[in-house]
Amino acid sequence: MDLKFLVVDDSVTMRRIVINSLRSLGYNNFVEAGDGKEALEKLTADSEINFVITDWNMPVLSGLELVKSIRSHETLSKMAILMVTTRGVKEDIIEALQARVNNYVVKPFTPQILKEKIDQIIQVA
Amino acid sequence: MKQLKNMTDLFDRLNDLKIAFSYGEKYIPIIQSIIDFMKETVPLLENINSSISDTTNKIPKAKDQINNVSNATELATTEILDIVDSISLEIEKVENDAKAILTKEEEKRKIWVQIKEILKKNPESENLVQKYEEYHSVQPEIQKILEVFNKTRNDVNNIALSLQVQDITSQQLAAVNHLIESVREKLTSLILHLNESEGKEVDLVKISAPAGAAFDPDAEYTKSKEKQDVADVLVNNNYTKTSQDEIDKLFS
Repeated sequence: MDLKFLVVDDSVTMRRIVINSLRSLGYNNFVEAGDGKEALEKLTADSEINFVITDWNMPVLSGLELVKSIRSHETLSKMAILMVTTRGVKEDIIEALQARVNNYVVKPFTPQILKEKIDQIIQVA
Repeated sequence: MKQLKNMTDLFDRLNDLKIAFSYGEKYIPIIQSIIDFMKETVPLLENINSSISDTTNKIPKAKDQINNVSNATELATTEILDIVDSISLEIEKVENDAKAILTKEEEKRKIWVQIKEILKKNPESENLVQKYEEYHSVQPEIQKILEVFNKTRNDVNNIALSLQVQDITSQQLAAVNHLIESVREKLTSLILHLNESEGKEVDLVKISAPAGAAFDPDAEYTKSKEKQDVADVLVNNNYTKTSQDEIDKLFS
């Protein structure tokens, strides 16, 4: 399965770390966004994107709001979404899962964890 | 009769006055000590007010300094990531070169087998062939070099991963800034309240809204897998079809 990732994080550092990790896992097709609003714009403009990796805490439009927007979108609702965030409280994780993220990674993460979660999402899809 | 009543009233009033004086004698020292206390307290309150004003005015500077720390660490992290990327790229190049040498060595080995067959016909070459073979094979050394490169690349990747701490600490700093701003608002309202009663005007310091106000106050940099394990349990147990009670049981 050819994956084109949209990496959404307001931290430039984190976007680079996520992309470097994806590269080390053999993926080479990425798009970046600094917040949820920019992510939605990129998603609607680029139909090749089929996997979203998003942070939660972001200005303008948060990761959770982005997930809800994607899930309620006419053409994007089936998008694979992995949330990568510092929020590790049980209630937060439940809220994200209720918004229908496909999987959840708590920062700091390792490429192995990232691979594991991406593989799980792909297998289900 | 009327005069007698007037005299009685006079004595009653004098008696009231006497009671008032005796009360006065009793309470005047207390009132005096209250006045003394007020005299001492008012300058103290003015000092407190001035101190609160001073502290409130310094808070924006503290906030700026925290923002500066956050920006500086982000800049430094970007520089480190640039270097890490550069090292990774160099390692990859040298690794590819080493692998190319290994491929060539394998081809050379195949040719050498054929040369040896030819040289067997010449008995004088036997000693030379043995010596050549001692120095010829560099494959084990190159394999060792590749292992070192592999380990170095992993170490470099781990450095990059550790830089996630920058994102986490910047969120913690944003949380501290938010807290400082809350304290400043409280102090400002206190000053306003104090100065309104004195009829003074307050010169408030304006603070610009912090950039990237979205942050996680509970962000922490830890190698513990505890939080990830919680997430995995919730994801794997398809919590959306279970009740909160059932979820709670998973963690009890």
